[in-house]
Amino acid sequence: MTSPAPGPAPTVDDEALARCAEEPIAVPGAVQPHGALLAVTEPDLAVVVASGNAAELFGGPVAGRTLDALLDPAGAGRLRAGLAGDLAELNPLRVWVAGAEVDLVVHRADGLLVTEWEPVRGAGEAGTAWHRRLPTVLQRLSASATLDDLSAVLARDVRALTGFDRVMVYRFDPEWNGEVIAEDRRADLEPFLGLWFPASDIPAQARALYATNWMRLIPDAGYRPVPLEPPTVGGRPLDLSGAMLRSVSPVHLEYLANMGVRASMSISLVDRGKLWGLIACHHYAGPHRPSYTDRTAAEFLGRTASLLLPTQVVTGEQGDVVEVAQRQAELAAVVGRTPRSLAAALTDGEVTALDLLPAAGVAVRLGGQLHLLGTTPPAERIGPLVADLLAAGVRATDAVSRVVPAAADLAATASGVLVAEVAGGRGDYLAWFRPETLREITWGGNPYTSKTAQTDAGPRLSPRRSFDAWSETVRERSQPWLDHEVEAARGLAALLTETAASRATEDNRLATALQRTLLLDQLPKVPGLDLAARYLPSADDVVGGDWYDLVPLPGGRVSVVVGDVAGHGLAAAAITAQLRHALRAHLLRAVGPAAALDGLNEVIGALLPGELATAVVAELDPATGEVVIANAGHLPVLHATGGGAEYLHEGRGPALGLLDAAGYRELRLTLAGDDRLLLVSDGLVERGRGGLSAGLDELRAAVAGGPVAPQALVDAVLAALDPPRTDDVTLLALART
Amino acid sequence: MHFDVERTTVAGRPALTVRGELDLATAPRLAEDADALLAAGPAGIVVDLTPTVFLDSSGARTLIAIARKAAAAGAELHVVAPRANRPVRLPIDLLELGTVVPIVNSAGEVPSPAVNRDAT
Repeated sequence: MTSPAPGPAPTVDDEALARCAEEPIAVPGAVQPHGALLAVTEPDLAVVVASGNAAELFGGPVAGRTLDALLDPAGAGRLRAGLAGDLAELNPLRVWVAGAEVDLVVHRADGLLVTEWEPVRGAGEAGTAWHRRLPTVLQRLSASATLDDLSAVLARDVRALTGFDRVMVYRFDPEWNGEVIAEDRRADLEPFLGLWFPASDIPAQARALYATNWMRLIPDAGYRPVPLEPPTVGGRPLDLSGAMLRSVSPVHLEYLANMGVRASMSISLVDRGKLWGLIACHHYAGPHRPSYTDRTAAEFLGRTASLLLPTQVVTGEQGDVVEVAQRQAELAAVVGRTPRSLAAALTDGEVTALDLLPAAGVAVRLGGQLHLLGTTPPAERIGPLVADLLAAGVRATDAVSRVVPAAADLAATASGVLVAEVAGGRGDYLAWFRPETLREITWGGNPYTSKTAQTDAGPRLSPRRSFDAWSETVRERSQPWLDHEVEAARGLAALLTETAASRATEDNRLATALQRTLLLDQLPKVPGLDLAARYLPSADDVVGGDWYDLVPLPGGRVSVVVGDVAGHGLAAAAITAQLRHALRAHLLRAVGPAAALDGLNEVIGALLPGELATAVVAELDPATGEVVIANAGHLPVLHATGGGAEYLHEGRGPALGLLDAAGYRELRLTLAGDDRLLLVSDGLVERGRGGLSAGLDELRAAVAGGPVAPQALVDAVLAALDPPRTDDVTLLALART
Repeated sequence: MHFDVERTTVAGRPALTVRGELDLATAPRLAEDADALLAAGPAGIVVDLTPTVFLDSSGARTLIAIARKAAAAGAELHVVAPRANRPVRLPIDLLELGTVVPIVNSAGEVPSPAVNRDAT
């Protein structure tokens, strides 16, 4: 999202929030009493840390003993066998301890084996009937056509499995306020569906923990914490962030008590490594503890839904992405073709700057002249507003008055502003405006009520007491600017910069204009990645169908793309622009390159029937060197190492547009030290003597004997192959730094 | 280089034999000739690329378009592209055109229409 302003969030005492953020939730030094914890050494399994209730569970003292002594020989044998393998497969180990059945769950932390012992007695079991239905439930999840369906199925089945009184699916907005988007509840409870909960209900520290630890359970919110003995090992409290019995923050317990919640469980929903939402389960009738097996099944449903989220979310945006790309290509054509002034071309033609993306008005300032279209603030206010936004480092916002308070009176025309600067030293820009969109938000409780209480230790966060629905109307906000809209605006501004600079000498403005929409003006800097790209237009001034792209992904990974649309000229260039944008959207949302190419193939099938294109995607994690490659009919990627260079022939599938469902595959490899990858278009290799086959051999030889640094390598390859310029030529080399 | 599309017969089927470079400049000629051939309503047609010396993505796109038109007209299309003809066969294999059009190695591998009728 593009708004840098804090949301309509409550104002709470900063110091108290900071105090809560410092609370050591990963190392509370205590566990919940529904099980016992022993941290033991390996390999002798001697107890180093024990929870205060361990003696009771084991029927005697545990300090100084080993698990071999505490378990019967059969149980100890199964544990030791399991420890040699994957711990995830060991959990839970059902063992007998002091005459009772116990689920033993283990993980490693702080160099110790942390063992948690949860009595089976007292736990609710959904039974085998539910687990037999699991395949049906999974099928229902993956068959969900929309996000609403997916979350409704999730809420219903998690409740059926775990027996909680209420199960909600929460979705976080960019400012971490949570909306209840699905709910399944006991019939007599009041509905929470549609309610919003403010960001401060779940502190940032807890959210960070939720992104890695998918499941939390509090069977009895009125519990007394059981301390660990000794409280520290090696001078530090034991890290319990991976422990299911971890004692939670007293602030959180107070919060639950204020809501009347007696037992709670939550499961993270994570989209590409980022916390997207939660499945929140509440029980009101009394303590409630589903068995470990049922909790694992519920977590599995959450993980499955998390994998399905990207496709469900993207479905809604895909149409717009393609439409904006289409407008961008049309505007580029207008700009390139017109003999008139650029400003006139953008404001009084059949397609104007206002058509680029959904907005109420646009200001086009070119050559120092301001032109207005649609509904905008008064001309004399626009210059100062844009200057204030740029001075604040803000180029897109859906809450202008939070950045520039003096512009609050412009809310009716400009609650949202998107600015794209046109370089050239004349202070030129394009600015789109969106009006105020009144939005009704129903909060679960009044988020503005003070949440701090004065204590001897200073102010402390006190969870909200009132949870009656409280609605407000959010003012001075517009519809948010989407990433692809911001990118399209910047692309148009960059094109104007180029065109204005090159008009005097450029003979083929159309070709230049179109190619500018397809290629990056400047490669973004990606930490850990050394990248060089060259694009040579054809000598005949015919616009080709090549494109390349660099798409930074969440988590530091980056996708590098080279593609080629069959054909030349205006039509091919317009299609290329659409495919580039659609692939970007899919790469940002899909689970990997193959899924993104599957999505792009569907876009062609649905929107561009009869077109043929090829593309190859290499997704690199600069931190680890791991690369995932998927190739849709494109020339193979060349992998250069210290010992030579080889084409990668795995992970291939048919060209885009051939089949309705292509089912692309992926190739995985790891880039070591000086390894490089080279992605090229066929213009580099297909027209030499001996054709494509000989061209590929020449390329391999040039790379194997070429320099190491990507830029030098690209230059050396072009010099060695010297492709005839009958087609456009793209080549791109990448390495780790 | 000289480009030419000749009407021939392969395995008893009407065929188009393509000589020279099949690319952006020449592909429309092949498309026109294929339209004319399909207009007669044959049970099957052949595009013979044995003497073709170059094939680019525009040429490939034209082959796909012919395949779709042939399918719509109820005619079976075979493309002859010998493996030894690397400049033509390599791009066909990279694009995996074989997933939508039967690609055969020689004219001799095109089934005769009679055999084909028995099979269907």
